[in-house]
Amino acid sequence: MTHIMERGLTRRKLLRNSAMAAVGTFAAPSILRAQSSELVIGCAGSHTAWMEALVTPHMKASIGADIIFEGTKSSVNLEKMSSNKDAPYLSVVQMDDPVMIQAVEADLLVPITPDAVPNMTDLRPDATHMDGMWCNYVQPWAGVAYNTNMTNGVSSWAALWDPANAGRVVIPSLQNTEGMWTLMSAAMLGSGLPFVDAQYEIDAAFAKLEELKPNLLTVYSTMSQAFNLLEQGEISMLSGNFSSYTLPRKAEGVPVDLAAPAEGIFAMPSGICLVKGGPNPELAQAYVNEMLGPVMQAAIADFASSVPANTTVTAGAIIPDGVPIYSPDWSFVAANRAAWIDRFDKLMAI
Amino acid sequence: MIARSNRIALLAVPGLAFLAIIYALPLVMLLFKSIQGAEGLTLVTYIDFFRDEFNQTVLWRTLRVALLTTLLALVIAYPTAFAMARAKGIWLTVFMVALVLPMSLGVIVKAFAWSILFRSNGFLNTTLQAIGMTDGPVRMLFTETALIVGAANVFLPFMVLPIYSVLRQLNSSLPEAASSLGATPWFRFTRVTLPLSLPGVVAGSAFTFSLAISMYVIPSLIVGERQQTLSMLIARSFLYLRNEPLGSTISAVLLAIAIFVVLFSSWLAGRLGARQ
Repeated sequence: MTHIMERGLTRRKLLRNSAMAAVGTFAAPSILRAQSSELVIGCAGSHTAWMEALVTPHMKASIGADIIFEGTKSSVNLEKMSSNKDAPYLSVVQMDDPVMIQAVEADLLVPITPDAVPNMTDLRPDATHMDGMWCNYVQPWAGVAYNTNMTNGVSSWAALWDPANAGRVVIPSLQNTEGMWTLMSAAMLGSGLPFVDAQYEIDAAFAKLEELKPNLLTVYSTMSQAFNLLEQGEISMLSGNFSSYTLPRKAEGVPVDLAAPAEGIFAMPSGICLVKGGPNPELAQAYVNEMLGPVMQAAIADFASSVPANTTVTAGAIIPDGVPIYSPDWSFVAANRAAWIDRFDKLMAI
Repeated sequence: MIARSNRIALLAVPGLAFLAIIYALPLVMLLFKSIQGAEGLTLVTYIDFFRDEFNQTVLWRTLRVALLTTLLALVIAYPTAFAMARAKGIWLTVFMVALVLPMSLGVIVKAFAWSILFRSNGFLNTTLQAIGMTDGPVRMLFTETALIVGAANVFLPFMVLPIYSVLRQLNSSLPEAASSLGATPWFRFTRVTLPLSLPGVVAGSAFTFSLAISMYVIPSLIVGERQQTLSMLIARSFLYLRNEPLGSTISAVLLAIAIFVVLFSSWLAGRLGARQ
């Protein structure tokens, strides 16, 4: 101690230096981030791996951005944006349309404009929402994934209810956006109405869902785990799965396929938005522009077997012939989703 | 001048300050949120929570799973700790490595491994059928039994180590003295060793119960959304229902249970220590 004091290190200096070191430690990430070309992008957990493989190298080469993807559920992305509203760390978020509506209502987004993002002028008209608050960058289609060793196909959503499939079916929770497809199918089957009207028949949907319980092995909120059960043959059908997940696995030789039941399939609403007050706003706009541009659109649509949003691109998913493709009234979904989740959880509870 | 003991106590200041800022302060804010109503303080969210049949089911399931996990871990841990306390040299190292090494494996990896084990054509079902105990596959995946087995597996070290540390310090002459007075091995164990090791059992049970009652990832992966626990309800309230008062209320209920367990176990350990 004497030696230390002799060298000029007093208790006061020690405290002062410790405090400065602590401040530096806590402040360093934000200081470094503000000066860097780093963009933190919130995206779907199931997209992270292929986003890192496809998008990250392209963004480094084209706009010089170092991309960090944070993959999770749309609702969690919304919570991250909401909790960090005063000091956002996400610049761009890719999440589903019903959650985008909630983000707009919470004043968490800034509009995407053609001046800053010229490629948005090439999008299909229905891919731009609420005056540019978000755009759909890609649209996978959703049906019923099945194990090809256990069944020959799924011609109707009613197959999920077939007693022959008792204990062999898994459906998504309504916490996951893809959970809506089972609910909407139940509404169609329960009410007997066409989709455009059936989507509002929620009591009929829940009554029909109750009949599905004997066939359910579980209700998932982590899709990779449920898909693993399908691949391993523990279940024969996984409801509401989508082309960007099932078809790449099929292409790898896994015994799974995605069925397009005759009643119709659904368009997954994958959106992209700019976070209000997010770091590196110009780089974030450049990122969105690239995501909506022909190079990335073709690459993502091909890889994820999805429908591109950019009209100049001819690539990606082949929508099954003769099967209607639906997109629900997302504002109706957004307004009622919390109540539906509560009702669904109570209905499905063992 | 500050007394030497007080100066030594100052060493705890960084830890306490860290806990106060990172743990206590957010907790107080959370608790305040649970009683904050539109027109002042209210207990209405607590009343609504306890009235709801679904919440009652979840609360009871959470307590039942935590209790059964603790009991299963105790049944497995006590003999293990007993063997470890008497092990020497390489065997003690082997025990320690076997106990601690699995902790480095993530729960997600373990959950996938259990799903292979519990599958209808998995190792357990195949074995049961091979030895003629069952005619066909028994459903094990997504059951409460699987959850309890999985949780006990994860939390086992937290039960073994406190019991081991108490048994290791046990004066070996006490059972020997009982033996010299004609006590049978069973009598020695039940009247000498077991009572003296109870403080370790209480500490291990408190650790395991506290961890089991607040687990989130393990039930999410093993039983899914159909058998929710209080922690899953908290996440659901904040993330999906966007109902902060409800999430804060459930957090407060969970905290109250955890505090009760810690205080009760401290009291019990103190009484057992005093008796001995």
